[in-house]
Amino acid sequence: MRGLRCVYPGAARPALDDVDLELPGGALAVVMGATGAGRSTLANCLTRIVPCFVPGEVTGDIRLLGEPIADRRVGELAGTIGMVFQDFEAQLFSTDVTQEMVFGLEHTGVPPGEMPARVTHALAAVGLAGFEGRDPTTLSGGEKQRLAIAGLLALRPPIMILDEPTTDLDPVGRAEVLRVLAALRAERLTLVVIEHDAQAALDADVLVLLHEGRVVACGAPRTILADVETCTAAGVRAPDVARVFAALGLRDPPLDVETAADRLRAEGVRPRPPAFLPRAATSAAPAVEVRNLGYRYPNGHRALVDVNVRIAEGEFVALVGRNGSGKTTLAKHLNGLLVPTDGHVAVMGRDIVGLPLEELAQHVGYVFQDPDHQLFASTVEEEVAFGPRNLGLPPAEIEARVDEALAAVGLDARDADPFLLDKGVRQRLAVAAVLALRPGVLVLDEPTTGLDSEEQLQMMSLLRDLHASGRTIVIITHTPWVIAEYTERVVLLADGRVRYDGAVRPFFADDDLLAAAAFRAPDVTRLGRLLGCTPLSVEELVSWVPRRTAACP
Amino acid sequence: MPLTLYVPAPTRLHRLHPVTKLAGLVAFVIAAFVVDRPLALVPLVAAVFGLIVPAGGLPNVRRLRVMFVLVFVFTVVVWTLFYERARPGVPTYDGLLYGVSTAMRLDTFLAAGILFLTITRVEEVAYALGCVHVPYKVGFTLTLSFRLVPVFFDAALAVLQAQRCRGLELARGGLVQRLRRFVPILVPVLIGALRRADRMAMALELRGFNSGRARTTYLRARPGAADAVAGVLLVATTVGYLALWASGVGRLGG
Repeated sequence: MRGLRCVYPGAARPALDDVDLELPGGALAVVMGATGAGRSTLANCLTRIVPCFVPGEVTGDIRLLGEPIADRRVGELAGTIGMVFQDFEAQLFSTDVTQEMVFGLEHTGVPPGEMPARVTHALAAVGLAGFEGRDPTTLSGGEKQRLAIAGLLALRPPIMILDEPTTDLDPVGRAEVLRVLAALRAERLTLVVIEHDAQAALDADVLVLLHEGRVVACGAPRTILADVETCTAAGVRAPDVARVFAALGLRDPPLDVETAADRLRAEGVRPRPPAFLPRAATSAAPAVEVRNLGYRYPNGHRALVDVNVRIAEGEFVALVGRNGSGKTTLAKHLNGLLVPTDGHVAVMGRDIVGLPLEELAQHVGYVFQDPDHQLFASTVEEEVAFGPRNLGLPPAEIEARVDEALAAVGLDARDADPFLLDKGVRQRLAVAAVLALRPGVLVLDEPTTGLDSEEQLQMMSLLRDLHASGRTIVIITHTPWVIAEYTERVVLLADGRVRYDGAVRPFFADDDLLAAAAFRAPDVTRLGRLLGCTPLSVEELVSWVPRRTAACP
Repeated sequence: MPLTLYVPAPTRLHRLHPVTKLAGLVAFVIAAFVVDRPLALVPLVAAVFGLIVPAGGLPNVRRLRVMFVLVFVFTVVVWTLFYERARPGVPTYDGLLYGVSTAMRLDTFLAAGILFLTITRVEEVAYALGCVHVPYKVGFTLTLSFRLVPVFFDAALAVLQAQRCRGLELARGGLVQRLRRFVPILVPVLIGALRRADRMAMALELRGFNSGRARTTYLRARPGAADAVAGVLLVATTVGYLALWASGVGRLGG
């Protein structure tokens, strides 16, 4: 790319400006940056989605394998460059895996005789050998994403772009896809991966950091990620280890936990955690009580078996487990979206069976993972007023509740069109819309998924504030640092049963439990454990390190 | 819950050439369309249901039984009461006969459709349409819309749940109010559909749709002996029913 610039019609500033990048063949490049930094635009320019699908003025020179691509159509580049999206559902079009695989081959004129071999090879490359003939809708998220990758691989493109390929996946699916990427790299494919998790960038050959459409850093990931200030300025969460080293005033942080622990030991850093760690105070009154809950879907699948959970008022609980472990099924029982087939669920001491949903909605608010599943109004204000209006409240009361809810989430653009807001803002609006019903308990399904690092922090500090104001919060999440830094209690589900229910610290100190959830403790926790303690955040670990008096010259 | 009707099974009917299956559907629809004497329709109804059983489509019929019954009852009642235009609301024998015949025909259409979808993958539908020179893009669009039904159904369910969590109660109030309550369901579903369609169009091109190169096909079915037999039977049925129609034997009243 030489002097690449892209301007969307009506935009205040170019989405990309003055981008010069050269990626050697066979390299793994990771592109990071905040929402609006231009990451997706970069990918879309490379595949010609901009300007072929999304109108935009692209200037500058892009060459793939030495060939200029200006004036080429997206379809013409199939076989040269492939691209996988975050939304894997939108990339599968067929009713069985084989048909899915041959789709691209048929459309690029590959002789039918050659197809079976290509299909077999591509499926094997993503670990889906033997899946021929399966119905794609019956696959797990990770399998669907790998199928989407295989569909492109069959075309044998030397370059492949992956736009947040693991964002919508659980830790198991994520690990599967990352393994596939490693295998593709071994086959010398040039890979461009757009990511927001620094962990995925550690092994890359090149890390490109974008900020407001410009390349602010480009080079070895180790160097860039070690620079906490630059990362933070670009809206990227620097790795835990780099943040620990920066806070302790140490230079050249290694990025893997083991080496970092050795370095810290050598530097004489010995964290001393206090003898008594503060424990979350739990009040006696239960907000939600789940007793012997069992749930069987109409198709006979037993999603929950004998679940007992008591959530006290004012708790902050993380509901974790692999996809299909029953988290969402359990969460949907808390506000009556699902009715138990066995056992009982009581909210504020009353059994939910027989309670109308609108009354339950005033006790337990439920925020869905995708804010776009509920936003429909033409203004932010209307959106928030929808719930109170459904309750038949008087206008003055509705007004007051809208004010209160918008203030709580820090939104003041009351007349803005919800559909034009950024994902992070839409997510907060969805929370406001539920808050307007004044529920004492708030259940959120993956509140940070799909947000960039700054938006994630905003969302979590919003939840922390709501919690501080007395609300009970239950979140479903796959993100270890969210659990470690914000929640007080972990409920781990495995195969529909409660596998662990207790404090966060022991959870992250138990390798068996972590394996059961396909989880990895945050790096700072792993680093701390190598040093003999279990910190839950960078700040905590740093605060445990005694101030070194008079640093050595 | 599966939303498609295709039943993967290695039956003889499944193994027929896609064009034969399509021809079967057309033949049954024509035959049922041209004849309206109930007695003449009986063999046709028997044939369609007689084929659904070995095709493994009975569960599909069971799933849609309410539709069969509703269509039948509604049609019979309406025609019985309103056949005579001069005296609406007065039941007549002619009306009853005509109602029964129309109901049988409609249920035959429905059953023939179920039979077809039970034994035919949507990709085969597109292939068959291609064989009879329907433009590829038309056939493909059809295939894709079938594929999307379950996706949108799931999205609609999620939206419905999300809005119920905000106190939306659909079954309350007068008709206008009820219709207005669908707005919060329809807007997110439609916008989601548009977004997805947009993404899908990109994904399609990324996989070579519109690549400018000549298309090849993986699915290549060769007609076999079974297709010849089926073809003869289908032609015989169609011709037979057309004869019934032309001779007037198959028609009610003059």
